[in-house]
Amino acid sequence: MRDTCQRRTCDSPVTWKQKTTMSDNALQGDSEGTEPDARFTMANERTFLAWSRTSLALVVAGLGIAQLLPPFPNVPWGRSIIATPLILLGAAVSVLSYLEWRNNQRALRHGTPLRRTQLPRVLAITISVIAVLAGAVDLYSRVTRH
Amino acid sequence: MSQGPAAPPPEPAPDLEETDPGLARERTELAWTRSSISFAALGVLILKFRPAVGVPILVFSAVVWSVGRMPRTRSGSASRRVAMVTVAITTLAVVALVLTIAGHSTPGIRL
Repeated sequence: MRDTCQRRTCDSPVTWKQKTTMSDNALQGDSEGTEPDARFTMANERTFLAWSRTSLALVVAGLGIAQLLPPFPNVPWGRSIIATPLILLGAAVSVLSYLEWRNNQRALRHGTPLRRTQLPRVLAITISVIAVLAGAVDLYSRVTRH
Repeated sequence: MSQGPAAPPPEPAPDLEETDPGLARERTELAWTRSSISFAALGVLILKFRPAVGVPILVFSAVVWSVGRMPRTRSGSASRRVAMVTVAITTLAVVALVLTIAGHSTPGIRL
C-alpha cells in the first residue's frame, strides 16, 4: 500500500515523475528551496485538513440553519441572516487555510520561520459576532410574538 | 564463544514507530480518513433530500479517502491534494449560499 511503485509510476517512472514535479512547482509557485523533513510536510497537511473540516462544518451548519430549521416567528429573514455569515466564514476559512498551508510549505522549504496564523482570531471573532446575532434574532422573534 | 564469525542475530520485526517516529504517516492517513468521513456524513444527509447532490459528495468522499492512502514520496503532489479539498469546500459554500439566498423566493430549489 505504501509502496512507491504503483500502477502508472511503474510504466514510465522518469517521465511521469518529471511531469508531476514540473507542474507541482508551477502550482506551488516555488521551485527553490530544499525538500523538508517529510514529517513537517505531513504535519502541515494535517493542520490544513483540520481547518478544512472546520470550514466544512461551518458551511454545513449554515446550510442546516437555512434549510432545516423552522422559521423564526415574525422574522422571515432570521434564518438567512444567521446562515449567510456562517457559510461565508466557512468559505473564508477554507481559502485561508489553503493559503496558510502554502505559506508554511514555502517557509519549510526555505528554512524560514513560520508566519503567525490569523485563522484562530478570524474564527473566534466571527463566531462570536454570529452568536450575538443569533441571540438577537431569537430574542426579537420572542418579543414580537405577542 | 568466539568460533569464527557468529551468525547475525535474527532480524527484529520492523517496528513502525522506529521507521516513522511519531507515526506521522499513520496520523496523516487518519486525518484524511476523518475528512473523508465528514464528507460522507454530509453526502448521506443530503442524499435524503436531494440524491443528485448527495451522490457527487459521496463520490468525493471516496476520492478523499483514497487520496489519503496514496503513497507520498515528495511534498510536490501535496499541493494538488490540498487544492482539491479547498476547491470542493468552496464550491459547496457557493452552492449553499445560493440556496440560502434563493431559498425564500423559489421553494422548489430547497434541499
